[in-house]
Amino acid sequence: MPSLGLGRLLTRERVDPTARRPRGAGTSTFWIFSIGSATLLFMGWLLPWFVRPTSSGIGYSPMDVVSSAPTGIGTFLVYLLGIGMLVMVLSPFAELFYRARKRAVPERLDQVRVLIAVFGLVSTVVVFLLTRVIQEEQLFGPIDAFTITDSAVWLTMVGYILAATAYGLRGWVIRRPTTAFAALALPVGILLPLMFHQAPVFILWAAGSLGIYTLLALGLNVVVGFAGLLDLGYAAFFAIGAYTCGSLASPKHSIHLPLWVLIFLGAAVASMFGAVLGAPTLRLRGDYLAIVTLGFGEIIPDLATNNIGKLTGGPDGISSIDQPIVHLPFATINFGINKEWYYWSVLLVVIVVIVLLRNLEHSRVGRAWVALREDEVAAAATGINTTSTKLLAFAIGASVSGLAGAFYGSIVTIVSPDDFSFSVSVSILSIIVLGGIGNITGVIVGSFVLTFVIFWMLQYLNEWSATLGQTINVPSLGNIDYSQYTYMIYGVALILMMLLRPGGLIPSRARQIELTSGGEEESLAAVQGIA
Amino acid sequence: MALIEVESMVKRFGGLMAVNDVSFVIDTREIVSMIGPNGAGKTTAFNCVTGLYPMTSGAVRFDGHIITGQPPHRITRLGIARTFQNIRLFSFMTALDNVMVGAHWWMSARVWDSVVKSPRARADEKRVEARARDLLEQLGLTRYAGSYARELPYGLQRRLEIARALATQPRVLLLDEPAAGLNPQEKKELMALISRLRDEGLTIFLIEHDMRVVMEISDRIVVLDHGVKITEGKPAEVRSNPQVIEAYLGQGAAERMVDA
Repeated sequence: MPSLGLGRLLTRERVDPTARRPRGAGTSTFWIFSIGSATLLFMGWLLPWFVRPTSSGIGYSPMDVVSSAPTGIGTFLVYLLGIGMLVMVLSPFAELFYRARKRAVPERLDQVRVLIAVFGLVSTVVVFLLTRVIQEEQLFGPIDAFTITDSAVWLTMVGYILAATAYGLRGWVIRRPTTAFAALALPVGILLPLMFHQAPVFILWAAGSLGIYTLLALGLNVVVGFAGLLDLGYAAFFAIGAYTCGSLASPKHSIHLPLWVLIFLGAAVASMFGAVLGAPTLRLRGDYLAIVTLGFGEIIPDLATNNIGKLTGGPDGISSIDQPIVHLPFATINFGINKEWYYWSVLLVVIVVIVLLRNLEHSRVGRAWVALREDEVAAAATGINTTSTKLLAFAIGASVSGLAGAFYGSIVTIVSPDDFSFSVSVSILSIIVLGGIGNITGVIVGSFVLTFVIFWMLQYLNEWSATLGQTINVPSLGNIDYSQYTYMIYGVALILMMLLRPGGLIPSRARQIELTSGGEEESLAAVQGIA
Repeated sequence: MALIEVESMVKRFGGLMAVNDVSFVIDTREIVSMIGPNGAGKTTAFNCVTGLYPMTSGAVRFDGHIITGQPPHRITRLGIARTFQNIRLFSFMTALDNVMVGAHWWMSARVWDSVVKSPRARADEKRVEARARDLLEQLGLTRYAGSYARELPYGLQRRLEIARALATQPRVLLLDEPAAGLNPQEKKELMALISRLRDEGLTIFLIEHDMRVVMEISDRIVVLDHGVKITEGKPAEVRSNPQVIEAYLGQGAAERMVDA
């Protein structure tokens, strides 16, 4: 009905939401660049340096490269690459400088960076040819499948390629951030267990902490992020999944089901409990709901501790959980020994879960959840059955958690009530808040960052500090016991995070806008005068 | 033919009689307005009809069937859609998504279809999106399809709320003060829209304070004061009714107007 004379009104409107952000140095470019540079630094220089490889060879850390001081075109190029890298890493500061002085970022800065990026890509290829094909000099030590992910120089170059590519394709990255993220995260994710000399502890971290917590965070994101129901007892469903796995794949009850069956069973049982918990909380919202879920989160581990029905093994839990052994025509994979297979299995499940959850998010179900989160009363008046929609969110969130639980039981082979305490629920919640509530990409980044900090960095901080002390000649750095400060560091990180980027690392679009002005909420039950 | 019949509706909040024994009938393809001073119980009556408030006593019939006690979403699905006095859009959903939520209940994709994005879900989604875009176009909102509801100017938010209500495929549209906060031009457009909707077969029931709008478009007017229906009739009758004038302007004014 354009005959309503609305045209005049519309043309006056200054906002054009369909307009694209102009290509070039905008806020998004700045962030891509900062994140890219950080990745580069992290991968190339910090990782190998922090975790000093045991089988120290030439080229494993930047220090080695410098001290071995070989000469040749390859080395020269590597030095040039280093300078280029520094320029790339520092250039966001130049951008900040211009912005602080409220002046436009000069076009030339952009051109210089493109040049450096192109140069870096070309010289990386040249260096590769020089060292691998022509074997000009043994700059990088012996190279086999694994050293590529361990050598500082090679990692630097990979980082360089990633950063430069991201920068070169920035227009595309800004338009399709999700695809770009997937393109970056997938190879890194697949290669992850090859890092750190394939140290068993690292693989265990990658599978048991990173993989599992990513799943948990994805599941909780459905409940908290999509449907807006604050759940503080989410670890309960994790426990249910893990105990399902423990009970049905261990000598405890002499049942031995395969893992792939168990993950479905764990998911099914947990989602049932999700619906059961959901039912009495339907009238509640916000703080009240949080308290009820908190109670549920306390009850489940307690039930397990009390060895209810002699099913759960009391405080000791269930041990000797089966680990799958897969017989293939060409090889036999024992998950207990080759733990990277756990990681890859979890990764596969994570990818499948992400795809399915994204489907849901962009379907009628996802819309109903968001509508519920935004305004329950209006949702009901628009024909949405708030009861079944909430229950569905609880059940689906719980099922992902149950899936994670089943994997977890199998990976660590022992489940006990202590593994599912309140702090687990809090960690999962922190992950999604830190990563960006309601944004799947943010949740993945959040779980990487937080599990790395909690379950890896904080465990090895003492070692790293000692290494740093040796390197810069301050031996007293090796005497600090960081384990005392674990939760302090964690807490400070969270506080800083919330102050600097309250929407999370990668905030959802809604969250970004919401932060500029508060929203109000009201429960349907309160309006109806029932609760 | 009576589409909505309200029979002795009573709604009590503690000691307050918000709606006291109110009965009225709305016929198919009629535009009925409910007016009355602030606090007369108009919105409460609305909420009782749409199931947001449980009624203390009384009954509401829709198309001959009693709908009292049904949950709000079921009443919407029967064909009663509404807008709210203080616009209740889903602020952080796009205009398009807001309208598509209205189509939620009659979409055919099951949860499993949505999870695996089955052909049925895709087709369903496509069909509903086309319909939603059509609705947005009809209401002159095409340009804002991709913006968040809260980014829309106020007048267009009211429009979007109507679009969302229309997406539920209603037979009756309940509008709670649709002209509030609109400028004269927007009010004119609103009246044109309401008449057009009625011409297309919809029944309209609205609460409105703007007497110009009410008098111009209403077929009948129901007047509430202090929870009681004081009169009902055609605009001309209501306008000259001393009780109505008294309710709005006070007793003295009513006497003076009758004298004059």
